[in-house]
Amino acid sequence: MSAAIRALGAGAIRIAEEVGGIVVLTGQVLRALVPPRIDWRELVKNLHKMGNRSVPIVVLTAFFAGGLMTLQSGPFVKKLGATSLAGWAAGYAVLREIGPILIALMFSGRVGANNTAELATMTVTEQLDGLRALAIDPVRFLVVPRVIAMMIMLVALTVIGDLVALLGASVVGRALLEIDWSTMYFSFADNLKPYDFLHGIYKSVAFGGAIAMSSCYFGVTVRGGAVGVGKAVNAAVVAAAVSIMLLDFFITYLSG
Amino acid sequence: MSFVRTRIETVGGAVVDASRAVVELWQVYIGTLAGVVRGGGRRGELWRQLHAIGNKSLLFIVVTLGFIGMVMTYEACLQLARVTGDFSQVGSQYLRLIVSDFGPTLTGLMLATRVGAGIAAEIGSMKVTEQIDALRMSGVLPIDYLIVPRFLASLVMTLMLTVLGGAVMYGAGGLTAQYSFGVNPSLFFDLALIRPRHVILMCVKAVAYGAAIPVVSGFCGLRARGSSEGVGWATTAAVIGSSFSVIILDFVISATALFLTGGDL
Repeated sequence: MSAAIRALGAGAIRIAEEVGGIVVLTGQVLRALVPPRIDWRELVKNLHKMGNRSVPIVVLTAFFAGGLMTLQSGPFVKKLGATSLAGWAAGYAVLREIGPILIALMFSGRVGANNTAELATMTVTEQLDGLRALAIDPVRFLVVPRVIAMMIMLVALTVIGDLVALLGASVVGRALLEIDWSTMYFSFADNLKPYDFLHGIYKSVAFGGAIAMSSCYFGVTVRGGAVGVGKAVNAAVVAAAVSIMLLDFFITYLSG
Repeated sequence: MSFVRTRIETVGGAVVDASRAVVELWQVYIGTLAGVVRGGGRRGELWRQLHAIGNKSLLFIVVTLGFIGMVMTYEACLQLARVTGDFSQVGSQYLRLIVSDFGPTLTGLMLATRVGAGIAAEIGSMKVTEQIDALRMSGVLPIDYLIVPRFLASLVMTLMLTVLGGAVMYGAGGLTAQYSFGVNPSLFFDLALIRPRHVILMCVKAVAYGAAIPVVSGFCGLRARGSSEGVGWATTAAVIGSSFSVIILDFVISATALFLTGGDL
């Protein structure tokens, strides 16, 4: 019994420690942005590595996600004979929820995990201490460009992904459920408002920040060799997934 | 000309690497199934993995699926309030969607993140510290010893967590509908639209994801090279590979089910 309580307490303390660490690191990043002295070469390199290289996986994910939404809503609207609503259901779900969430989860796996692995390797091989010895602030040099790059690129990838997902919804509707292209197009155009799209974009800004902060935090605080690096990556993707779901809830609830 | 040649060589190299990876993944999969048939793996390890994959994911699954359940109901009710204002169908339609798609798939995606990364990190660390070679040298098949128990544990626990996650999603949705939109719980918790085929679909999806996640992540872990950097790469690849296989499997299984039931799912 006392062992169970001890385990529970240890878990709670660990979570509090991690949340606190992430908040402190966020504070340091914000502090480094005033005045904005950014390492532009590092930023451009990260933008390319995190954004351009993630396009294929995001496009594939978004295409299937859009298709799945039509697969789920299609039979229902066909049964009611209201195929003009197919685009409404699929498009609304894609733009506001499924698109931003799935793209953020894939981004967290592809970019966040990769970033944690890279920073963690640098940490365990004492490269961060090397930077400090040269009087270079690791937060300013390594963390800030990565955070900015991830936030910009997740938004850009969500814009692309939303478009591809709507295309996927139309293709699946045409191929599997015999809903015409034009029916689908007008269904999107009549029922979706610019705000639905913007709502997803707000979310992806927040998700980008959460993924960036958790992946950098677990990267720079890693301990102990190869085993530690694996554990850090694992912890980073789990923290990112939980914060994506929590942020999604609060943003939806607050902005309506 | 050399520019074109470099490009062709890059694409060709990628294709060769990808096809080699597919063959290796297939070998790991067959090896795992053969190991299960042979009864490989140890009993104690299986219990340990059931605990590590199932019990330790419990809080994670409850929190993530609970929140997404609230969001989904909130968004659906918001739309309905604008269009018809008729909430009588929300609960039963929502349950149909949870059972046939969102329950298993979102649980699968979350487990791909947590369990997939964990398996790859563990096996990858063993690979780069040469413990896998030590296993081979002492005449133990690494797949039997490492992947088979995780495979069996993941099959059982993904199904369990899918049922739990779906229930949490539904419950959280019901509470949101009641407190934000005044939907009567007895109207929301309505099982009328659920048919046996939905439950079968849920089980098929959960088992498919449960089988895919440990095999893909174990394969990524076994491919780890180098030192700490290699483990990081393997873990990243496992998260991407297993999340992506969940999405693809979902699409394939949903489309097949739609085809088999003649569009009346």
